[in-house]
Amino acid sequence: MTRIKLSIILILMVLLPAPAYSASVYETQAEFLSRAFGNSIPDARVIWLSGERKKAVRQLLDHDYPALRVRYWCQLDRSAWVLEEIGKELPITVGVIVERDYIKSLRVLTYRENRGGEVATPAFTDQFNDAGLGDNHALDTRIDGISGATLSVKALTRLASMSLLLHADNACNNGT
Amino acid sequence: MARKTKNSNARRLHRLLGVGAAIFVIFMVLSGLAINHSNSLGLDQHQVSQTFLLDWYGLEQPENIRDIRLGKDWISFAGSHLYFNGQHVAMVSDGVGAIAGENMLVAAGKDELLLLDHDGKLIERAAWGPQGAGPIESIGQLSDGTVAVKAMDRIWLADQELLSWHLTKDELAIPNWSITTKAPGSLHKTITQQYRGDGLNLERVLLDFHSGRVFGPVGVFLYDLLALAVGLMAISGLILWARGRRNGQRNGNGKR
Repeated sequence: MTRIKLSIILILMVLLPAPAYSASVYETQAEFLSRAFGNSIPDARVIWLSGERKKAVRQLLDHDYPALRVRYWCQLDRSAWVLEEIGKELPITVGVIVERDYIKSLRVLTYRENRGGEVATPAFTDQFNDAGLGDNHALDTRIDGISGATLSVKALTRLASMSLLLHADNACNNGT
Repeated sequence: MARKTKNSNARRLHRLLGVGAAIFVIFMVLSGLAINHSNSLGLDQHQVSQTFLLDWYGLEQPENIRDIRLGKDWISFAGSHLYFNGQHVAMVSDGVGAIAGENMLVAAGKDELLLLDHDGKLIERAAWGPQGAGPIESIGQLSDGTVAVKAMDRIWLADQELLSWHLTKDELAIPNWSITTKAPGSLHKTITQQYRGDGLNLERVLLDFHSGRVFGPVGVFLYDLLALAVGLMAISGLILWARGRRNGQRNGNGKR
């Protein structure tokens, strides 16, 4: 009897749980836009990733952006972007507010990876505040990494550069 | 005589541990090297499709696959995944339905819309925006091609670019709602294979073999024992070497 019990326990111990993915939503798009523009949220616009723009984004991300167009919101010289990039295996959704070619705020809206969620803490994302584009479309601000979340940190850094690149490439940059 | 027996016992133990640990060490070295270079070897991008591994990990088939026929194309929802003609496109939350517009296909999840071109490439993932609209219940199309969404029993109509939505009170605006149709079995087979392999790549399998986790907690414990065996082998090897050296010196002295 004891042997049977022991066998059952061992079998149960050996059984593996299926990998489970759970998305952590830190801020909805509506909340993000309210934070960016208050009560007067402008109409959404789109920017198509084609031609030279597509090439520039590919160079920056090391791969094509996983969508053909990007939605953004623009008021005077402030723009808000909702972008996605895969950290390790799953896409991280990020909201970036850009004002006069500098990042006003970057926040993780949805994080789906199993590990590396520390990148969603304001202590990390605040590092992007006031960052601009330097040489070769890299950020002009040093972003300190987080051990165990290297790929997520890189993903956020790439999206920060991409938002600045797209901001510089649209009418919002002229305050229109 | 006693020292000789002690030495031969130590040698026997050393040999036993050595044989047991050799295969383990070789495997750890090879798997460790592969894991170290998994990105450049593309192991993290290689999805596992071997049925026995998928079974071992307990990766089950999707509970159900819902298909929508759009002309000659098929849009399918399986779990939280969206497929176009059996090819994975993107993740989607609670697939609701899909329609084919003039310029794009639109697949609706409970709280988002995925716009695809007619080759199944993702144009955009758009959050379902109107404040207080509630979750999407169904998606359809008016006779003039306008995309319509039903949420909390109200009908919202989109502009041509699907950038903004407005409520319609026109009772004559009756959309053709998206309906599910059973797709061919071969399409379901392709989707099921991809669905089960999603998230399980070779890097993960190697990591689990390397750590013993692939065999569950018992595996980790066994790996601990094997690691201890390797450590003991190193120690017994050192002891044997020291004894041999000492014996050699003593024999050397005796000869002199």
